[in-house]
Amino acid sequence: MHDDGSKMFFYLSDLLDYPVSDPEGKVHGRLTDLKVQLGELFPKVNSLVIRNRREKSALTLDWSWVETIRGRSAVLKPGAGSRLTDLEVGNREILLREDLLDKQVVDTSGAKIERVNDIHLLIVHGELLLVHVDFGLRGILRRLGWMRAIDAASDWLFTYRLPERLASWKFVQPLASDPKSNLKLNVTVRKLHELHPSDIADIIEDLDRTNRSSVFRALDTETAADTLQEVDPRLQLSLIETAPPEQASDILESMEPDEATDFLADLPEEKKERLIRTMEKPFREQVEGLLKHEAGTAGSIMTTDFLALRGDQTIADAVESFRNAFHPLDTVAYIYVTGEDRRPAGVVTLRQLLLCGREEKLGELMNPHLLKVGTDDDIKTVADVFNKYKFLAVPAVDGEGVIQGIITLHDILQATAEKL
Amino acid sequence: MIKDRIKRRWKGLLLFLAVMGPGIITSNVDNDAGGIATYSMAGAHFGNNLLWTLIPVMVVLIIIQEMSARMGVVTGKGLSDLIRERFGVKVTVYLLFGIFLTNFGNVIAEFAGVASSLEIFHISKFVSVPLSAVIVWLLVVKGTYRSVEKIFLFACLFYVTYIISGILAKPDWGAIGTSLVRPSLDFSPSSLGMIIGLVGTTIAPWMQFYLQASIVEKNIAVKDYRHARLDVIIGSILVTIVAGFIILTCAATLFKAGVQVETAADAALALKPLAGKYCSALFAFGLLNASLFAASILPLSTAFLICEGMGWENGVNKKFSEAPQFYGLYSFLVFLGAAVILLPRIPLFRVMLISQMINGAVLPVVLVFMLILINSPKLMGRHKNGKIYNVVSGITVVALVALTACYALSFIF
Repeated sequence: MHDDGSKMFFYLSDLLDYPVSDPEGKVHGRLTDLKVQLGELFPKVNSLVIRNRREKSALTLDWSWVETIRGRSAVLKPGAGSRLTDLEVGNREILLREDLLDKQVVDTSGAKIERVNDIHLLIVHGELLLVHVDFGLRGILRRLGWMRAIDAASDWLFTYRLPERLASWKFVQPLASDPKSNLKLNVTVRKLHELHPSDIADIIEDLDRTNRSSVFRALDTETAADTLQEVDPRLQLSLIETAPPEQASDILESMEPDEATDFLADLPEEKKERLIRTMEKPFREQVEGLLKHEAGTAGSIMTTDFLALRGDQTIADAVESFRNAFHPLDTVAYIYVTGEDRRPAGVVTLRQLLLCGREEKLGELMNPHLLKVGTDDDIKTVADVFNKYKFLAVPAVDGEGVIQGIITLHDILQATAEKL
Repeated sequence: MIKDRIKRRWKGLLLFLAVMGPGIITSNVDNDAGGIATYSMAGAHFGNNLLWTLIPVMVVLIIIQEMSARMGVVTGKGLSDLIRERFGVKVTVYLLFGIFLTNFGNVIAEFAGVASSLEIFHISKFVSVPLSAVIVWLLVVKGTYRSVEKIFLFACLFYVTYIISGILAKPDWGAIGTSLVRPSLDFSPSSLGMIIGLVGTTIAPWMQFYLQASIVEKNIAVKDYRHARLDVIIGSILVTIVAGFIILTCAATLFKAGVQVETAADAALALKPLAGKYCSALFAFGLLNASLFAASILPLSTAFLICEGMGWENGVNKKFSEAPQFYGLYSFLVFLGAAVILLPRIPLFRVMLISQMINGAVLPVVLVFMLILINSPKLMGRHKNGKIYNVVSGITVVALVALTACYALSFIF
């Protein structure tokens, strides 16, 4: 279409199902859909989809063959009739009626799921752009053909007009209507990343199952992990289960090992093993260690990020191992001092680490009055220990007295809070 | 090996129990006030003559409910959602409006059930109906419904009384057998109307929406689908057994005595062989439970399906300001439905029967939509309908349309 400098708004419902003709008035068919190219802030319509009686399947015509388009009719340039081709929808393209109209989308400005009642288009510089989506009652009435009557009635009775509810396309996240076409979603799902994970979780809960898992799969690992922890526990498993194994194990790896283990413990055996196999080695070993413990025992809630050093090592060694640790060690409050046999003999606090001389031996500094819990002890026993002694963390030892992990205040709080 | 097999059996049973529910709950709500009234009247006025209709009705019920459950499991979406996405807003609005009116009729019937059951205890409908409307409304809006649901379900054991009473009444089992295998059909308006009512009450349009929504809410995975199917089949068979016993009990008692069922006290006489002079109280209890159970579910499910199709926020976990249309529709259905029953001299049992006849007339429309959706390969993939399903449902649609047309014509000629 050539640029005559005019700017004009249309509703999709003003165009659909109206005839498409050439300048002489010869009708080529009815306009049944518009195809847009996603990616830009306001996506461009690149083709018309036309149906006529002669052909069974839908045909497309490139936008450049449109002479003028206004409500209720589209006029093509001469010769356009021979340029009709079979409909093909590319990866980054969607059909407005097929994929958007009447479908559910996410309104990221309100973090809500809405249904598309109409679509607002703008002609500017000879291009037809998708600018707004209509979520309001007006959109429904317009398509029913009741708009005038209702407007007249409400104006006469109440001097009131139903308000428009248009949302800018930049706040609209389309969802895949067809579970097989997930690719489209990946292109544009970044709009969802602007939302807080707990909002994404609410949205996921409200979606239907196919969209639920396709939206979840389209999130990046970090967001997916945060979202997963906010989602209703009854949905968490099905989300992890339907995600592809590599993504699922990436998501689990970005969690604390004990939290990841809680997820894994509830999965079916086969799925669990496949996920563990795809994990990175140090993480996998920790998870495997944790999985051995029965639910409800200290072992099942313990954290395996901890520092244990021998008594003949120095403060400097301790600082060094802090630096080299694989895990962020967010939860470490104490350094455990063990013998050769990895049985904990005492504890050094972070305070001592900061204040004591670099060459001092841990074995001499340590407080030898160390309280331990067994990995098989039940959570109640461990909670009582925390309650009584006000520790930040307690080491957990196996049957031979070898340190296996620590239970932090956070771990025990989470384990007991679940029961409340 | 054997241990493994037992383990698998157990696992299967546990899975079934987890998936179970939607089908059986739907079936029990299906035997609502309208259902009890229609079955009672069918038995009392036509004896065993219409008993045979329950066999084709059961087959169709299983097939239709299975389709709803399958669509719910495969698409994860509700029926009105699918209709909106496939047929656009225009068709959806008019269809939902029709469903709204049909369901409104059913809600009225539930309150008619409340009124007539409590009339037995000489409680005026001007007390019982407004009170029960307020109770039902609060139960759902305050979110305590889930816990009460189990009580309702348990009280459905009441239907067993029909089975016992039916056996105690010593019906002519031979005659029942013959009427089952040798169907008789006469084209009198009252008999045609009753058949439409019987189909409409057993396979009510609202059930398809409700069942599919409950399946979606339970988030049943495709791999667990066969458990959901079993649940639906058990539920459908249960409904039919209960319906059959209500009809044959009424046939053996009321029809024999020539009672015309106009009030709950008439219908209650069917339980006399079991409960003697307490039959009225027993019947009243059963009818009240059935009415309240359905009165809690029907308006809620109607508001839900309309909001889903229109794209309005819904659900009792939302605040009123978040979902005004949902609460508006729900309250409208409950309170206006109750108000209709307060009209003086409204014939309660007639109202219940007529609402079920409307169900029967609307059912083929809903079925056509379901058939189009479930045959879409894009939507259902390899779970789309097989040939037998389409043939049986097609015949049902044609038969129902023909029945309704005959019924309408019988008034003209």
